[in-house]
Amino acid sequence: MLLHLHHETRYRYSPAVENAHHVVHLAPVSSTAQTVLSHALQIDPAPDHLRTTRDVFGNSRTYFSLHRSHAELCVSALSVVQTYPLAARALHASSPWERVRERYRYRAGSAHDDAWQFVFASPLAPHSAEFAEFALPSFTPSRPIAEAAHHLMARIHQAMEYDGEATDVNTPPLEALRLGKGVCQDFAHIMVACCRALGLPARYVSGYMLTQPAPGQPRLIGCDASHAWASVFCPDAENQQDLSGGPSCGQWLDFDPTNNRVPRDDYITLATGRDYLDVSPLRGVIHGGARHTLSVAVTVTPAGHDAEALEAV
Amino acid sequence: MTTADDTNDLPTKGVATAGLQKDAGQTAGALASIARDGHFDELRGLVAGSASQQSHLQIPIPIPTQSQSQSQSQSQSSAQFQSQFQSTSSSQASATPDGMPARLSQHWQDFFDFLGPDGFSDLNHRTANLKRQIRDNGVTYNVYADANGPQRPWSLDLFPLIIPAGDWAHIQAGIRQRTRLLNAIMADVYGPQTLLQRGLLPTALVQGHPGYLRAMHGVQPAGGMFLHIAAFDLARGPDGQWAVVSQRTQAPSGLGYLLENRLSISMLFPEAFRGMRVQRLADSYKALVDSMKALSQQANSRIVLLTSGPYNETYFEHAYLARYLGLTLVEGNDLLVRGEFLYLKTLQGLEPVHGVLKRLDDQFLDPLELLADSTLGVPGLLEVIRAGNVQVANAPGSAFLESSAILGFLPALSRDLLGESLTLPSLSTWWCGEQAVMQGMLAQLKNGVIKPTYPATGMASVQGHTQNQRALDEWAGRIVRSAGDYTVQGYAPLGQTPTWNNNCIEPRSAMLRVFALPDGSGCWRVLPGGLARLAGKDNNIASMQYGGSSADVWVLAQPQEAQPSAEPGVHSDTSPHLAASTPHPATSTAGGGIGRKQPVTSRAAENLFWLGRYSERAENSLRLAQLALHSLAGDEQSSAPLMAWVSCLAVSNSLVLVSVPSATQARRVFERALIAGLANVDTNASVGFTLCAVKGAASAVRERLSQEQWHVIVQMERDFFRHCAAFMQPAPDYSLAAALSTLDTTSGYLAAITGAQTDRMMRDDGWRLLSIGRHIERLTMLSGALAQGFESRAVFDDSGFSAIVALFDSTITFHAQYQQRRDLSALLDLLVLDQDNPRSLSWVLMSLKNRLAKLVSNTTHKGTPADRALERLMAGDLPQLANALRSSVQSMDPHELTAAFAQCQLFARALSDQLGQRFFSHASSQLSVGA
Repeated sequence: MLLHLHHETRYRYSPAVENAHHVVHLAPVSSTAQTVLSHALQIDPAPDHLRTTRDVFGNSRTYFSLHRSHAELCVSALSVVQTYPLAARALHASSPWERVRERYRYRAGSAHDDAWQFVFASPLAPHSAEFAEFALPSFTPSRPIAEAAHHLMARIHQAMEYDGEATDVNTPPLEALRLGKGVCQDFAHIMVACCRALGLPARYVSGYMLTQPAPGQPRLIGCDASHAWASVFCPDAENQQDLSGGPSCGQWLDFDPTNNRVPRDDYITLATGRDYLDVSPLRGVIHGGARHTLSVAVTVTPAGHDAEALEAV
Repeated sequence: MTTADDTNDLPTKGVATAGLQKDAGQTAGALASIARDGHFDELRGLVAGSASQQSHLQIPIPIPTQSQSQSQSQSQSSAQFQSQFQSTSSSQASATPDGMPARLSQHWQDFFDFLGPDGFSDLNHRTANLKRQIRDNGVTYNVYADANGPQRPWSLDLFPLIIPAGDWAHIQAGIRQRTRLLNAIMADVYGPQTLLQRGLLPTALVQGHPGYLRAMHGVQPAGGMFLHIAAFDLARGPDGQWAVVSQRTQAPSGLGYLLENRLSISMLFPEAFRGMRVQRLADSYKALVDSMKALSQQANSRIVLLTSGPYNETYFEHAYLARYLGLTLVEGNDLLVRGEFLYLKTLQGLEPVHGVLKRLDDQFLDPLELLADSTLGVPGLLEVIRAGNVQVANAPGSAFLESSAILGFLPALSRDLLGESLTLPSLSTWWCGEQAVMQGMLAQLKNGVIKPTYPATGMASVQGHTQNQRALDEWAGRIVRSAGDYTVQGYAPLGQTPTWNNNCIEPRSAMLRVFALPDGSGCWRVLPGGLARLAGKDNNIASMQYGGSSADVWVLAQPQEAQPSAEPGVHSDTSPHLAASTPHPATSTAGGGIGRKQPVTSRAAENLFWLGRYSERAENSLRLAQLALHSLAGDEQSSAPLMAWVSCLAVSNSLVLVSVPSATQARRVFERALIAGLANVDTNASVGFTLCAVKGAASAVRERLSQEQWHVIVQMERDFFRHCAAFMQPAPDYSLAAALSTLDTTSGYLAAITGAQTDRMMRDDGWRLLSIGRHIERLTMLSGALAQGFESRAVFDDSGFSAIVALFDSTITFHAQYQQRRDLSALLDLLVLDQDNPRSLSWVLMSLKNRLAKLVSNTTHKGTPADRALERLMAGDLPQLANALRSSVQSMDPHELTAAFAQCQLFARALSDQLGQRFFSHASSQLSVGA
């Protein structure tokens, strides 16, 4: 699917900001599931300094700073991404989950792999026995990990009510779980924390999904939002390698507990990390601007429907 | 102030022992109790409670390489764990067969020989001197995380911990090796990560540790030097072997305290200090700064010391070190990132910074990428570090090395990375995250110490032998549930070193902290000294936070070792400044000897300004209180105008609350309220409050004040509150005499502070702001007093007239110039127009004008609104005000005069605001945002 993506963030400050430093994760990266055909980041006013690098997780990360007084800041990211429907994998073809847990227990000489770091607690997905307790009914003995994760996704979807008012960016996921309410960020953190509580590698994915307008309604500009879901490392069942040997064969499978479905080519991945803090689309420190307003507008449009939509923005 | 010299002739070794019945060593032996069973006895060099090991400790034999089982990276075996630390079984006392305790070890024998048999009688005296000196120097250790809590005086024992040359050679080699190893681990973990890939280091202890900073991945600091300072805590086990207990790399403390300890103790035992060839410290400190400068590859590099501020538990040491090393002491908001460079905000504008010696934990360094709500750091700093434009000592991201769990993996890592076996062992340490190890540990918790693997848990170490079986079972349960969170370390009864306690020599458990510092050639040297922390009497935990004490550490040189740095005068440890060769004004130390003035940071400027204001305000309110009490003390016929004037001023200067009836209405009530309010710090401007504010402002610029000035400020505040408490409690005694005597004493201190400010400080722009602060305050107070003098008609009254002259501190001048006249025009002439009287309004305005002109000419004019506003005040308002004063005095019209005085008040306020806008504007709030 060819998708056009526009993500605009606008700050208005009072009093004006004298000095600002920002880090953004707004550029999707090509992978087996998507090819980035073009990307442009526009910042107004133009920053005094800007640098784009790959972060430790392989995401594209841009740092910029402004050292002149500005009362408004607009950061606008335009991307065109080709997404692919990956061949559906049989969930039962993955390793039994206990085997994965064993794989990520340290023994002398255990081979390290990139998935390992996602077993550990992170600031927004801390370890807690409550997560383990919630997760366990899905992780029955010897169940293939992908099947268990799918089951867990469904249970989170069932247990949680989507509520934009109940939580904010700083609500710990454990509190959201107890509350039974939250937004996609909370759903994703809960799923990640549940897997980690059992010793399984799981990561947080920041991105977008294409929403379908109600029948007969035109596609609205700017009504979409950033989305987030979870990704669980699922080694192949046939991978009978010695547990302490070589990197595991397997793949990261995405699960979207907010919508209770497995992401396909209507999803765009922006960045992956341990939790939201690693990949927040825009984070900054400003001097001044004690009062400020923020507006975010996201539009995802499929090619074909998009010509006039993109011109509008 | 040391009394060591006047007690007896210098004893020389041999003389002291010859011809006396008993040598000093025997005296010491008789005064000294024996170390507790199972602990090493430093004084006698043997393990207490084990007769079989009664031999003087020679150069320790390195522990044989521990056999490594192939399946484990944690290379000690469980069997060793048990045998190494089971306490020695023999319970026999360490005494010779005739019941006399064993002889002292040679270095302690030498120490007491230098003291001489008569020296013992002087030790209590020296202890008292030491206590006083520490208090006077204001050496403190804040109880942690308590901004308003008490500062505890630093605790230092009289006797040093003495380390003979042979022992030290072993420690030194081992510490250098370990520092090389830790640095190599950092380089790998933030680079190719081969140690992780090969499973030599568990991912859990690196990427699973909150101190591992992903933002630093791929960063290669200049010279490959991640660690500039590494601290190691060592314990001496019952076998006499020193072993590493833990290591600190983020922002290790102690380098300042140990220097202060050295200055104090070397003065109290000058003969032993010289005679025993104690190694000097100054060269090591110099090498640290030199190395940072060299690595920055800048001709004129600027290194700053980054502190978290006066509320940090070890702030004393930050200020002390900055002054000693000649570095600018900065807080996060003194620094600014522009582009990919780091700058210091100074009165002169932004100045580039090339090196940061940080005393801030990593997580607080950069709110942009680390803890978002940290206000202590510098947004964008990590970006500058990644660009290679600043050296940070130590490189952020080393905190994972501080985990005890790492210790168990070091032997194997050393063989792998260095191709060497570790020469200095650590206590055997086992990370429970390895299943096989954890199983082995469960049965042995009683013999070990359970420690948290990660810092965040807030868990304190638990000594297994202090726990009952049920508690141990509970611990075992926790370990099974989250094995990786726990690390078990062998329990070592700490070696006990002699301390002096009121006529007795008492053994106390000691932990030794030593420091590796750069040697200038890309490697490390070990500072030949350290910080010994002593446990309480019945305690095996040596920690300053748990109320322990400290001791100086004397490292003895080999007999044949040359001591180039021991020559008198050159880098002597007794100099309070590394680079100073002449007596110092505190601010003159050039950074590392380069002839450049210390810049005045915007924060220092603001604090100096307020120090000036508060010092002047303290003097004024003190004089007003004295005057008021004197007037009230007199006979009942004191004039009504005088009483009215005093009452008004007391209210406007917040000496009494508005609700207190005036002295004209209820004289005694007013008097009592005045006395009771002196030390009431709840009102915003009582004398006590202002004295606290003086101290607060001074403490924030402590590195710029001489030790003497700081000392006076501390003493002034302490004495004032002590005296006030004495006459207010338990039952208030509203005696005028007591209150006046307190005020007189405080006046004396304030005079000394004013003297130090006018005569003992560098006259840089910081000082100019201090002086401007004083003059603004003086202008406000004096114009207010004159205005109220007219309003209350006190100026027209004899006693009121005298009081006003007295308040302006001008009584003597007035009498000299005008004899006994009570002439209003003479009064106004002296107090308003006189160009030679430092307390006339015109003189104050003229001084302000000169200081401001110099200050502004030294700083770049940027044409900002703040610049222009300040200019208007200087060029327009100030001369206009001077004219208004002159013409109103000529006219003698009370209305015109009152208006001119009111104008003075407005001008003072406007000037203060504009200075803030122009020079201190960095105070604008910092905010984290996200979307």
